[in-house]
Amino acid sequence: MTTSGGPLLVAALLLPLAAMLAAFVLGRAQAPRVVACALPVGLLLALAILADLLCSGEALVYLLGAWQPPLGIALRADGLSAAMLLTTTVVLGVVAWFAWGDFAQPANAPEARQPLMFWVLLPAVWLALNTVFLANDLFTLYVALELLTFAAVPLVCLEGRPETLRAALRYLLFALLGSVLYLLGAVLLYGVYGTLDIAQLSTRVHPGVATWAAAVLMTVGLLAKTALFPLHLWLPPAHAGAPAAASAMLSALVVKGSFFLVIRLWLDVLPGEMMLEAGQWLAGLGAAAILVGNLVALRQRRLKLLIAYSTVAQIGYLFLMFPLAAGLVGMGLSDAPAVTGGLLQAVSHATAKAAMFMAAGLIYSTLGHDRIEDLQGVAQQLPMTVLAFALGGVALVGLPPSGGFMAKWLLLSAALTTGQWWWAAVMVIGGLMTASYVFSVVVRTIVAVDPEKMPKMAVPRYREASVLALAIFSFLLGCVALLPFEVVQVGRLGSVLP
Amino acid sequence: MNLTAVLLVATLAWPLTLLLACTVRPLRARMLPWLPLGALPGLLAALLAERDALFVFGSTRFPLAFAFDRPGAALLGVAALLWLAGGWYAAAYQAESPARGRFAVCWLMTLTGCLGVFVVADMVTLYGLLGLLTVGTTGLVMQEGTARALRAGRIYLSMALLAESLLLAAFVLIVSSAPGNTLLIVDAPAAIVASPWRDAILCLLIAGFGIKSGLVPLHFWIPLAHGAAPVPASALLSGAVVKASVIGLIRFMPLDHSPWLAGALLAAIGLFGALYAVLVGVTQRHPKTVLAYSSVSQMGVIVALIGMGMASGEGSAGLIAAYYAVNHVLSKGALFMAVGVVADTGRRRLWTVLLPAAVLAVGLGGLPLSGGALTKAVAKTLFGDGLAGTLATLSAIGTTVLMVHFLRCLKTFAATGPDDCAERGLRWPWLIMATASLVVPWTLYLMAPQNSLPDAISPYALWASLWPIVVGVVLSWALLRWKRQLPQLPEGDVVVGLAAMGNRVSALAAGLGQQLDAALRRWAIGGTVLLALTAVFAWGLRTLL
Amino acid sequence: MTSITLFGLCAAVLIGLGVYGLIVNPQPLRKILAFNLIGSGVFLFFGMIARRGAASGLGGDPVPQALVITGIVVAFSATALAVALLLRLDAAGGPSGLDDAVDGES
Repeated sequence: MTTSGGPLLVAALLLPLAAMLAAFVLGRAQAPRVVACALPVGLLLALAILADLLCSGEALVYLLGAWQPPLGIALRADGLSAAMLLTTTVVLGVVAWFAWGDFAQPANAPEARQPLMFWVLLPAVWLALNTVFLANDLFTLYVALELLTFAAVPLVCLEGRPETLRAALRYLLFALLGSVLYLLGAVLLYGVYGTLDIAQLSTRVHPGVATWAAAVLMTVGLLAKTALFPLHLWLPPAHAGAPAAASAMLSALVVKGSFFLVIRLWLDVLPGEMMLEAGQWLAGLGAAAILVGNLVALRQRRLKLLIAYSTVAQIGYLFLMFPLAAGLVGMGLSDAPAVTGGLLQAVSHATAKAAMFMAAGLIYSTLGHDRIEDLQGVAQQLPMTVLAFALGGVALVGLPPSGGFMAKWLLLSAALTTGQWWWAAVMVIGGLMTASYVFSVVVRTIVAVDPEKMPKMAVPRYREASVLALAIFSFLLGCVALLPFEVVQVGRLGSVLP
Repeated sequence: MNLTAVLLVATLAWPLTLLLACTVRPLRARMLPWLPLGALPGLLAALLAERDALFVFGSTRFPLAFAFDRPGAALLGVAALLWLAGGWYAAAYQAESPARGRFAVCWLMTLTGCLGVFVVADMVTLYGLLGLLTVGTTGLVMQEGTARALRAGRIYLSMALLAESLLLAAFVLIVSSAPGNTLLIVDAPAAIVASPWRDAILCLLIAGFGIKSGLVPLHFWIPLAHGAAPVPASALLSGAVVKASVIGLIRFMPLDHSPWLAGALLAAIGLFGALYAVLVGVTQRHPKTVLAYSSVSQMGVIVALIGMGMASGEGSAGLIAAYYAVNHVLSKGALFMAVGVVADTGRRRLWTVLLPAAVLAVGLGGLPLSGGALTKAVAKTLFGDGLAGTLATLSAIGTTVLMVHFLRCLKTFAATGPDDCAERGLRWPWLIMATASLVVPWTLYLMAPQNSLPDAISPYALWASLWPIVVGVVLSWALLRWKRQLPQLPEGDVVVGLAAMGNRVSALAAGLGQQLDAALRRWAIGGTVLLALTAVFAWGLRTLL
Repeated sequence: MTSITLFGLCAAVLIGLGVYGLIVNPQPLRKILAFNLIGSGVFLFFGMIARRGAASGLGGDPVPQALVITGIVVAFSATALAVALLLRLDAAGGPSGLDDAVDGES
């Protein structure tokens, strides 16, 4: 049944679509304005969806054309979707604010492709992500994932340098391999259960050969798209080579799209008892990602590559939630702490990482390079940027009151409650390693140098302010724990609840 | 909201407000002279707030709680006084520094963290404040920007972060095993005793707070950091900041529960550290480094007191340890300030600084009628007359030797011009702290009902504190004769080996990680890994069949 | 051997060949073709599932057919994007292999 808030979901899809088309048609001069108008509306929409969810206490559903699944297609928003919708809109809003000058079209210059493409691709990413968060059947999700890839790949090579083109091609081919595996799994599930609708599958799925094969194929395919270690081959060159605003979107949001599907798959579609086993494997890869990603990040000489490898490591944290949720359910407890921890980690990383990439972009455009050993004096030149980088880093490390801390605290207590102390050890060690590279960068930037020797490139104040605003948001995100409600539990499909 | 609540919140909120004001560039540039004000609410809270209060704000799941107990009140009072005097001192000391804005920011961060630790009552805020403290302290240590300062800052930062990771693990374990998952520190000792992970929690807490308090062998960052920081920062780090770990140990360790042998072990480690630091300290040349080693030694005694309390189930151990720490805050703060004053004072007026400094220094070893003598008399009730008591007396003798050595190093540090005179902004704070370190221990001593003035000045008490001093002075004289035979130990002793080993291990691990990463990022290998991963998952999920 | 099994085996062979080509073949264009081979395999598989619906008495399941068409469109756009990237890469004068930038230190 379509719920009363259902039309909001349609609006959440139509708005970015309209913005994308309008931006493309109206051309580069108007495109930024179109996006700038659409994003605040999108923010209101996301807030309205969240409010509706909290008031009604159940998921929002919209049946397209009033056709029931399995023949019809349903849109559905639960607490997880609403939180991710809101995060996406906030991050994209700040990215657009930041990119305002970067991709502005100089007056009287011939039409350049790069700015127009950026302002068309930004709503495209938004559209694809919203579809990922709201779609409720496995095939629409496949299409949404592909849309996301098609929007993300050109962002990698906006500047058109050969190495970025190569990185984009690597990204595209690997992501295609991943999505084809996912599609194969989805087809298998359809063959056995005769439906692709997640809500219907969650009540029908039972162990068997087809479910097993589908689970394996879909999981591996999604891991390849999420760039979970050891399948991260495409991520560092793609994220480090893109322009700062694009890197921020890719690292903060795009990888979360396929991760969100992993959550959907394992928490909603597949039966809960399966997760006990699979969770250990997923978290094992996550732990390897944390350790290797952080180790490699420690050795990077360029700031953007360091941040990209930090993303590889932080993706690992996201996957630690699975065995913890399964362990809690196994003990007859609610899995809310683990799922909230995982979601908060995703949101916190999205905001912090976007802020850090944009800060790195400002540093790059001021100094003309991002070699970590030559960052002395940046704090004098760009104090707000360095503060933003540091606050984002603090959120990654997980110091209070950041969202990263709250996520880490919830995951750590879930790990210890369920007796899985080894995941807790990995988190603590990972935090230590993150701290060492974040602080080594910050310490270098605050070394004072003769102001005469610094380049005189001025960065517009509003760009610094945008980065700082996002970093502060990330830094104070932990305060959501003070709110009296649990967003993630609203509208969860019942398959893993005790 | 009563006065106590307002004062406790202001202790934390006021320096935080000053810190936020520093985000505005013109305010930051002018913040230096206002630094002393940051500690004012803390001092008022220590004087006026009611003891044994607990206030909880925010949600029940993640409360923001403030509490005030007697050890916390005593330490908050002297720490705030030191921050106040130190702020005045720093305003004069750093007035010409080009990086004074940064100094003010780091100072306020450290101040917020340090004073906040004494009044907060929930683990999340405590962890956050310790993080703030770490970041601020690192900034203070690196303030001078020399290679030595940067190295010290790096080593300090890695040790402090390690300590915080251990503490975080301990906190989560405590909360997971506490009934109702309470985050309040008050409930922690009972939760630890009842926890199935009791031993793990204790090890984590002792290692975490041990690093922060400079427990040997985790002490090596203290001489480096306190030696490299500017003088006012060293005074605060050595005097006030390390006491955050003391209050942590007092509040978390199960002191008034059944006697426990683990406490004896902690006491043994503490007393060993107290003697070890003296032995290394006498080989040092720089007065600040000598003082830092003395801090390591004194912190060893304080940790040993807490250990004795655990071993004997003596609930008053917390208060005794806090009293010992109060004396150390005042004396060590004053002595560090003396280093800066002496450096600006010429030969002719030198005695006006050296004489009070000598009284304070030897007082730390237990000079009769000084605060040190009082604390040692109180500590004796816990150490007893057995092995622990003997070791404590040995450490008093050692402290005397170390302090005489410090005075000798200090003398060589005087300004070259015979008529030089330290400016007022340095002299006054130093005098205030010197006076406070004579007066405050007596006041606190006489406030306790079981103590009385005649006891404290009885001939027996005087003799008991005098003879270790005499032995110490004789030993120092002997030391002077053998000075040339002493080995030259590097600052931070064990750090040289540890740092080399750490570098090698991390280089090896990072090298391996990089090679693995480079291999995985080749297309053919990455694709094969994808297939292999499919096979692994297929095998791992075979229970689904 | 029923026709369904035959279709299934064909699909498996196509996917296997495609995966092999995608991983082993160094030239990007061949990788793109290999991806198309995988895609064809998956669509064949999908068609087979629609046939299974027919076997159980329905006149052929319409959902997989609709999905296959969508899937083909998606795969076609993916191919177009990949080829466009390859052309740009060629025009920019970069070497055509995908592994040259591995060190990433440039």
